[in-house]
Amino acid sequence: MNKKYFTGVFHDEESLVKAFGRLREAGIKPEEVYTPYPIHEILDGMGNKTRITHAAFFYGLFAVIGLLSFMYYVSVIDWPLVFGGKPFNAFPSFIVVTIVATILIITLATLFTFSVRAKIFPGKQAEIVHPRATDDKFVMLFSDTIGKEKEEIVVHIIQEHGEVEK
Amino acid sequence: MIYKTEIRGPLIQGDKSFSQISREILAPIDAKTPMWWYFAMATSLGMLGFGLYCIYLTLANGIGSWGLNNSVGWGWAIVNFVWWIGIGHAGTAFSIFLLILRQQWRTAINRAAEAMTVVAVMCAGLFPLLHMGRPWLFFYIFPYPNTRGPLWVNFNSPLFWDFVAITAYILISASFWYFGMVPDFATIRDTTKSKIKKAVYGFFAFGWTGSSREWLRYEGLSFVLGGIAAVLVVSVHSIVSTDFAVGVIPGWHTTIFPPYFVIGAIFSGFAMVLTLVTIMRGAYKMNDFITDSHIDAVCRVLIFISLIMGTAYMTEIFMAWYSGSIYEYSIIFESRMFGDYAFQFWAMFVANAVVPQLFWFKAVRKRILIVFLISIIINIGMWFERFNIVITSLSRDYLPANWANYSPSWVEVGIFIGTLGLFTAGVLMFFRYIPMIAISEVKSVAKYNKPQTTHQTGHHE
Repeated sequence: MNKKYFTGVFHDEESLVKAFGRLREAGIKPEEVYTPYPIHEILDGMGNKTRITHAAFFYGLFAVIGLLSFMYYVSVIDWPLVFGGKPFNAFPSFIVVTIVATILIITLATLFTFSVRAKIFPGKQAEIVHPRATDDKFVMLFSDTIGKEKEEIVVHIIQEHGEVEK
Repeated sequence: MIYKTEIRGPLIQGDKSFSQISREILAPIDAKTPMWWYFAMATSLGMLGFGLYCIYLTLANGIGSWGLNNSVGWGWAIVNFVWWIGIGHAGTAFSIFLLILRQQWRTAINRAAEAMTVVAVMCAGLFPLLHMGRPWLFFYIFPYPNTRGPLWVNFNSPLFWDFVAITAYILISASFWYFGMVPDFATIRDTTKSKIKKAVYGFFAFGWTGSSREWLRYEGLSFVLGGIAAVLVVSVHSIVSTDFAVGVIPGWHTTIFPPYFVIGAIFSGFAMVLTLVTIMRGAYKMNDFITDSHIDAVCRVLIFISLIMGTAYMTEIFMAWYSGSIYEYSIIFESRMFGDYAFQFWAMFVANAVVPQLFWFKAVRKRILIVFLISIIINIGMWFERFNIVITSLSRDYLPANWANYSPSWVEVGIFIGTLGLFTAGVLMFFRYIPMIAISEVKSVAKYNKPQTTHQTGHHE
């Protein structure tokens, strides 16, 4: 499978968004869009969804259950000790540790999830499509598998707002 | 909510292109290291060296080398610990609260504030560790199945809460800071001409390309971290305050402590941010990004927090009188306000509640040198506040037979100087090797400088 790629390069957000809107009206979606900063029109329009917030919620839920059970096991079952006349299961004062440790667990687990799903990890070689996409250019990537007919439309739209680079 | 340039002035001075923004922010990394940097670094390392020597003395001779006595068991170490943790609150407060409040001006400052947080929390963590006396046994505080019983830790103890909070805080603020920098490291990787920098920053960029898939998840990640770290900021310093508030010592045992500590932390943190950004403007000419209106905004926030601080001080004084408790009355009036530590009390009061009121005047907010000086005064005032809380209450408890004054030994002072050195050295490293302003975030707000077009007023925040 040897796909050939061509890119549309734009100089500002506005022309990128306009070209993107017109392409979507024509029923065409780029393979990927590279921008120096997040642009919500593009993130919405590309149709990808992230479930990272749901993941974070469940990490938090499991963390709370895990931490409270751990503290209950330690203070009531494994080695009960009386501290200042409080009951073994001194529940309200367990909440403090639960909150803070839950936040820590959510953060670390969500970072890990992000790293796995967005494939951003130490030692990864970047596949650079356009050397200035992290600096000042807004880049759309297309492969020629979309077909000759559509390619002409794409080239036409891009050229009105930016430049085509093959 | 959209930023209205006509009303609030441009976020970035000068009509800059995106590549200009990258180049200007990265200029200090690409340029030759200036002479003053070496000089400042040498001074900081000298201070750090002296601190390390004092730490050596503490470890070799024990806590007896400090000025503590039976009554005042918490001296400068805990004063400095609370002070540094407070300063460390600014980074997260800046990023999180201003993110939640959708304040676009935060983008020029949050990176520096977060960097400061990480270094300040490192300085803070040192003190409880040394205060243990036998720091090599610090791992006893981890609740793990051990060979000592297993004897677990006490989950009801604020000192354990503190340990969990500080550990969580440093890990979370460091990762929040780091992931914010990943896109900027990628910008350095793609714009630098030096092969070494390309390799080093390329490694730290974790293969970032700026694709929509990456940005989408990145936004999700910031949303999650931002949301939960806001809870963390409030809870960490509340927990630090419970170290005091759950002790039955007059002047400590009050319910005002958690909000009082959180506000105080944000106050000292914002003051330190102000110190730092005025230096960034002076030393690195970042005036176009950290504009006069940024300084103005931080000053206005400081007026507001200063008023809350003043209210908190007055509340303490009022309650000491109105509660009718002779111990409270005695600690506030006879020890703090007019006792042996009256200087520290009034220094705190004037520096935190009175001096910042000068920021009401535009003429003061406009003069960067005065702003810089006031920010330093607030930092010192907040240090005195910690001193007041920790020392005066301990030195005058219920039994007059226990009363004892405290002054630090030079070893304690030396450790504090050491942490100041560590802090400045860390900040200098940050200035030199890390983009001190979040490039991608500044670019995302650059459009507000241009005349607004219809599509941008839609669902942009």
